[in-house]
Amino acid sequence: MSILALNNICFSYGKTPVLKDISYEFEIGKMYCIIGRSGAGKTTLLSLLSGLATPDSGEISYNGDDIAKIDKYTFRSKYIGVVFQSFNLLTKYTALENVVLSMDVAGYKCESKKKRALELLESVGLDEDEANRRVLKLSGGQQQRVAIARALSYDPDIILADEPTGNLDRETQSEIMEIFRNLTEKGKCVILVSHSPEVAKMCDEVYELSKTPLKKRMV
Amino acid sequence: MYILKNALRSISRSKGRNVLIGTIALVIAVSACLGLSIRQASDSARESALDSMSVTATISYDRQSMMNGMMGGGKFDRDQFQNMMGGASSLTLDEYKKYAEAESVDDFYYTLTAYLNGNDDFSPVTTDSSDSSNDNSGRFPGFPGNMMGGGMSFSSGDFTIVGYSGDNAMTEFINGVATILDGGQMFEEGTSEYSCVISEELALYNEISVGDVFTLVNPLLETEIYELTVTGIYSSSETNDFSSMMFGGGQDPANKIYMSSNALSLIIDNSEANSTTITDEDTGREQESALSSTLSATYVFDDTDGYYAFEKEVRTLGLDDSYTVSSTDLTAFENSIVPLNTLGTMAGWFLLVILLIGSVILVVLNIFNVRERKYEVGVLTAMGMKKSKVACQFVCEILVVTMVAILLGALIGAVSSVPVTNALLENQISNQSSRGDRFEENFGRPDNIGGGMGGFPSGMPSDLPGNIGGGKDFFGDMFGGAANYVSEVNSAMDLTVVLEMVGIGLVLTLIASAASVLFIMRYDPLKILANRD
Repeated sequence: MSILALNNICFSYGKTPVLKDISYEFEIGKMYCIIGRSGAGKTTLLSLLSGLATPDSGEISYNGDDIAKIDKYTFRSKYIGVVFQSFNLLTKYTALENVVLSMDVAGYKCESKKKRALELLESVGLDEDEANRRVLKLSGGQQQRVAIARALSYDPDIILADEPTGNLDRETQSEIMEIFRNLTEKGKCVILVSHSPEVAKMCDEVYELSKTPLKKRMV
Repeated sequence: MYILKNALRSISRSKGRNVLIGTIALVIAVSACLGLSIRQASDSARESALDSMSVTATISYDRQSMMNGMMGGGKFDRDQFQNMMGGASSLTLDEYKKYAEAESVDDFYYTLTAYLNGNDDFSPVTTDSSDSSNDNSGRFPGFPGNMMGGGMSFSSGDFTIVGYSGDNAMTEFINGVATILDGGQMFEEGTSEYSCVISEELALYNEISVGDVFTLVNPLLETEIYELTVTGIYSSSETNDFSSMMFGGGQDPANKIYMSSNALSLIIDNSEANSTTITDEDTGREQESALSSTLSATYVFDDTDGYYAFEKEVRTLGLDDSYTVSSTDLTAFENSIVPLNTLGTMAGWFLLVILLIGSVILVVLNIFNVRERKYEVGVLTAMGMKKSKVACQFVCEILVVTMVAILLGALIGAVSSVPVTNALLENQISNQSSRGDRFEENFGRPDNIGGGMGGFPSGMPSDLPGNIGGGKDFFGDMFGGAANYVSEVNSAMDLTVVLEMVGIGLVLTLIASAASVLFIMRYDPLKILANRD
């Protein structure tokens, strides 16, 4: 059963159409990659999926419910985790504080948020010392890991990642992709937006955004 | 809870910005504290003085109203004015007593004043070149016999004989201006015997001691004599002043003789019974030899409300519009707090200007702040934090910074408000006094119009804040009056000021954060993050 579905989605910036009649379904336990040339609307599609933007027409459903009928803040803070292209971390906070704050916003209940945050950061390759550093003092790859840990902190079903390997070296790129692969094995639905063929190859399904409706291209 | 935690974290991570906002809020807080403290000191001084002050009032002929009525036609008729003044009658003791029945009156007393001469064995104390001869009697033509609450007939003698209706009327002895010396005692209250107390100077001057008898003479009829027995000798801090020089030795405080009004009434009744018509050798004018007297009635009230109620009650009891009720206590008090009130008003304006300028600066700073933190707002809302919660975090930050500034401002204000208030008050009094000095320098007499009357009247409590002084009689006030201002406050800041400060802090926070909230609510996280990317 699909956890997230797009039904005839159309979106335009002013009079410029960006997405037209896009329909597809995303399932639990799979990793998806949406590719396309620059300006094809990849990031816009991710914004629609994360509830940051609203489609001009069509419907996006989460577990069968139209997300337009779900409180957009609740949807963003509980059901879906987003890893932005530029990470969008709070730079004056430490890595740990970024992750804990995310749990606070989601109202996530657990014994110790700090403990869980440290475990998550460790799972993406950051030790306690790095976890307690201000984000600005971390490398790009480390910031990417913090962003992933933050997206996972409140245990959402869907992880959206925009160009998650865009600024990373090959080795780090592989490590990050490994993290996403592990998430799918834990029953998460991972949707990546990328123009990297290497990333596309590592996904279960790849969809290409072009002038024509979203096309499914089997790996 | 996490919002507050986030707010505190944000404050600690952006010290520069918050120190700047805090400094501005601190300047506002200290200024506000000083302004509020000055106003509070002014109000407290007024309220505590009025609360503990028993107000006294007199009923007098309303000459001002009469003059205004005459000037209403635009032309002043001197003959008509003299006729009206001559026709103005004083209230009788019975009438005064009738008005004393008003519900608002707490106490009532009166004094009777007459002027008599001494003889060769008993002469007045003279300290200057004023002639103490027996030929200084007379009347201002056309003036009524009762001008000031009980009348100010201008028949002057060597001695002022004051008859008191009761002990409570003897305010000089109650408020400490005069004290009976050892070995003597006050005459019995309400007695009809010719017993009296005299001043220490007068006793020494005439070598009189307690138990001695001396003789007083009607200034207009030398055969009319009265023998008075001294029951006590008093010392007084009252000094000789302008009035005694102007009106003769009888006005010298040393020449005041106090006795019971009943006894003095007997003297006056006796004088009237034996009155004869005499002719002035110089002017050829005829007049009665009977002693003239002045009746001065005083009504005492618990507070100012009683005084204001009395003003209405006497009208219902039949007091004519040509008479007016007045209180020298209130007038003197109002004059004494003029500098403090002026300072309070100035402080109010100062406070308003500071708040306006401060608010504008804080609003501008917060607009810059929220614009600078636009990205943070975008990230938080993209994470799913509601805009209202983000706004709440920003408000909390401003509130915490402002409240810390208010607390520090209140502490600084608490320490500095009293000395600053007193310094400003001193400056204000100096300005006020220099007017009086210039007036006296140019006119050769004290300024009694803007500068205020003399010290507080006798009903004034002694524990008032500031330098609220002793009290003089009406002549002293009228002619001797250097203003006695409230020149010092002991405590300027209290709980009211603290609460007002907190109120100001909240208002400042609301004003300063309103702009932030407005901006946050209008921000679109997608646009913010897209522009960032």
